[in-house]
Amino acid sequence: MNAPLTAPANPRNVVASRSLFLPLVAAGLFLLLVIIGSLIYGAGPVTPRKALAALAGTGSDEAWFVIRELRLPRTLIGLATGLALGIAGALLQAMTRNPLAEPGLLGVSAGAGFAVAVAILFGASTATLTTLIAQVGALAGCSLVIAATRVQGLGNDPVRLVLAGATLSGLLLALTSMLMLMDQRAADEIRFWITGSVAGKSLATFQATLPSLIIALTLVVVVARPLAAMALGERAAVGLGHHPGRIRFLITVTVALLVGAATALAGPLIFVGLVVPFIARAFSGPDIRKTLWLCLPIGPAVVLAADVASRLMAAPAEMPLGVVTALIGAPVLLAIVRAGRMPSL
Amino acid sequence: MSHSNTATLAADRITLAHRRFTVAENLSLTLPSARVTAIVGPNGCGKSTLLNGLARIHAPAAGAVLLDGKDIHRLPSKDVARKLALLPQENTAPEGLTVGDLVRFGRQPHQGWMKQWSQEDQQAFDRAVQAADVKGLVNRALDTLSGGQRQRAWIAMAVAQQTPLLLLDEPTSALDLGHQIEVFELIRNLREQGKTIAMVVHDLASACRYADHMVAMKDGKIIEEGSPAEIVSPELVQELYGVSCELLHDPATGSPLLVNVRRNNRQPA
Amino acid sequence: MHRHALTMPDSRTLVANAVLLLLVAAAVIISLSMGTVQIAPAEVIRALIGTTEDPTAAFVINELRLSRVVAGMLSGAALALAGCLMQTLARNRLATPGIIGIDNAATAFAVASVVGTGIAIAPSAMALVGAATATALAFGLAGANGTRGYRFIVAGLGIGAIAGAVTQVMLSQVAIDDANAAYPWTVGSLNARSGASVQVLALGLAASCLVTVAIVRALNTLQFSDPVAIALGTRLRRTRVVGLGLSVLLTGLAVSVCGPVGLVALLAPELARTVCRPGRIPLTAAALAGAAFMVIADLLGRTLFSPLEIPVGIITAIVGSPYLLWILLRPSTRSLT
Repeated sequence: MNAPLTAPANPRNVVASRSLFLPLVAAGLFLLLVIIGSLIYGAGPVTPRKALAALAGTGSDEAWFVIRELRLPRTLIGLATGLALGIAGALLQAMTRNPLAEPGLLGVSAGAGFAVAVAILFGASTATLTTLIAQVGALAGCSLVIAATRVQGLGNDPVRLVLAGATLSGLLLALTSMLMLMDQRAADEIRFWITGSVAGKSLATFQATLPSLIIALTLVVVVARPLAAMALGERAAVGLGHHPGRIRFLITVTVALLVGAATALAGPLIFVGLVVPFIARAFSGPDIRKTLWLCLPIGPAVVLAADVASRLMAAPAEMPLGVVTALIGAPVLLAIVRAGRMPSL
Repeated sequence: MSHSNTATLAADRITLAHRRFTVAENLSLTLPSARVTAIVGPNGCGKSTLLNGLARIHAPAAGAVLLDGKDIHRLPSKDVARKLALLPQENTAPEGLTVGDLVRFGRQPHQGWMKQWSQEDQQAFDRAVQAADVKGLVNRALDTLSGGQRQRAWIAMAVAQQTPLLLLDEPTSALDLGHQIEVFELIRNLREQGKTIAMVVHDLASACRYADHMVAMKDGKIIEEGSPAEIVSPELVQELYGVSCELLHDPATGSPLLVNVRRNNRQPA
Repeated sequence: MHRHALTMPDSRTLVANAVLLLLVAAAVIISLSMGTVQIAPAEVIRALIGTTEDPTAAFVINELRLSRVVAGMLSGAALALAGCLMQTLARNRLATPGIIGIDNAATAFAVASVVGTGIAIAPSAMALVGAATATALAFGLAGANGTRGYRFIVAGLGIGAIAGAVTQVMLSQVAIDDANAAYPWTVGSLNARSGASVQVLALGLAASCLVTVAIVRALNTLQFSDPVAIALGTRLRRTRVVGLGLSVLLTGLAVSVCGPVGLVALLAPELARTVCRPGRIPLTAAALAGAAFMVIADLLGRTLFSPLEIPVGIITAIVGSPYLLWILLRPSTRSLT
């Protein structure tokens, strides 16, 4: 997590046209490091040393098998999850102009999770279907959030929006718990699903989310410039020839695709969408386009680092990834509030 | 009667500070009894801070505020509330609170565990709503009133405290001319009943007209003190606000009137 | 009697309290009568006052069901009172122990003692420590703003999230049997109560009520700004410390009985405010409403999908969240803080 902080020159002092080069390289290097970490650390007899040997081509077949069949899918899923959540968070925050707007906090992830829980209860289990359902749920949640920010007065009140999101999440969680009580068989599957983890998921899930991730990233490219203009205010954006309604719609869809995919991959993870853009903004400044670029390496790095930490913190047992992200994210939330820059953005 | 009819309030070399920023240093002031004292001065001169200091809202960093000669911060809060009432600058009340409810709060310092609403409380209540002319509004919710009516209701609460001392922080700041006069005349009536009153006033003209005693402040210091007729001069106005003016005397009341107020002839600071 | 006395309830408040009291009584009796064996309400009353002829009914009511209903009543009242106190002190109707993370923290500490992390202190005591810790943290992190403003609430959200995560960690570390035993702690249920915790809660609630009566007049002045409260002779710091202490005590003790049952602390005072006359803090009405809310929610949880039992915390969340959302999302010019 600390990699971006090790970037040389203090970027806070540079006001005009911050260079993204160093932060990007630093984040990229850190990402590489955690990818290797994710491949070599883990439960079982394959120790980091054996795993390293296997990666170098001199290890045992057993080690190679563990890496290829267990740790590689897990790493890929972590990468995709982090990428999706980081970018979704940055988009949502720019859109609502609220540094606390995070898919997990605002109930978008909970919407996706609830939709999947309902689907599991009705017997759905294929990866493709799950992804689609999660995205529909996320779309509902995201539309609700965007609609809520359009309510008079609420858009200017970050805390009220976050509280509303927390309440919505709580409600959906309670409903999910109720569904779990109804059906013991589904309950186990749902529980596995909603604890937030990238472990034990198959590559098929990853493949199922790939198309929507690609679509979403394409949409991000389309929407980034007008979104940057929206930072000047809706009227200014209109003046520059953009269509705020259309931008809102595209962003809603993009965020839903991303969060739905991430939730299908790893369950509802909170705070990732908060932490990643927070770190990115420290280096990119307020321009959303730069922030998005930085989110590309930082998002996966954060999730993977958290995942590696979840394996190491309570070894030999594992801690749920969602717990680790919450432990990392809550202090960041507090830091944002402490900084007292809340209403801006 | 459980409350005394007179009390003296004085600041003895007090220093007032907001955190580490000193607003006023070494201020001394005694409120003349049964008079209206107006504290005037430019924005940020520390006049509201001084009033809050006198009202024990703001504890002085040095020196003491003396109520009947005793350090106000060492006296029990309730005893102080029976001698000194305060009307802060901006007031909020819970939604739906009626004028009667509000005025009844003024009796709290006189109540206790065993002492619930008494005959005496009721009399004080009646007198307060009478004095502030809010008798007809007793059952109206505060949020349905006009600004002037609301301010009178708040003053009625302070009056119901039956204190010999009354401090008001810009009692007319958000009111139009008619409502301002309404409130100032009420304040003058309260003085007639023997109360010692101090108020922060933004508008020098109103202060001239309605105050018996004036305290002019600048940069946390008291630069002049005395009756408006004695101390208000073009020089004082120049010093306080950096504007020039000429002085006339109100033919009706004899109080000073500022005319031809203008920004030229500014002297270098 | 003068109807103007501030401490004397006016007629509207009296009626409201009487109705709420009846509601609690009715909820208790119906709750006692429902279950695997249905017992007529009249029989329930006879069993309660000890005049029943039917030994089975007496046993079922007094030995099996009563302790649960009493636990619900007490914890509901305690949570609501704690919520009402904190809202008053913070001058913010959203500032309730649940929202600022106090009950999550209390749960985390209580779970630590339940799942056997080697800490052999009673859940009540642990929950109290947790509640106090979270409150201190929320205040510390909110900085100079104190209880006012958004920082307090967001700090609480963060603390709640951390505490929730810690609870998860502890539950994930222990054997599955222990985790099942601790599950009610994560959603809030009256199943996990221990007799000792309920007794402690009863004592704590009684003591808190006495102290609350002593500071009620001062609390009423907190409806105005600090200067007005001071001018009326209120000792602000003392009132805040005592009120907050009570709030922490009540939350901790209630959580040690029923776990983090959400939104009772927010909804009950909200209901109390609507039925009572404005201008006074409706502490009694809030406590009664909380008791009724909790008993009814537990009754629903037990009977709606019988024999399946829905934990009371899930019911309060499903009932309460939409209302809270409505408060938060309705367009209004009035600020909540």
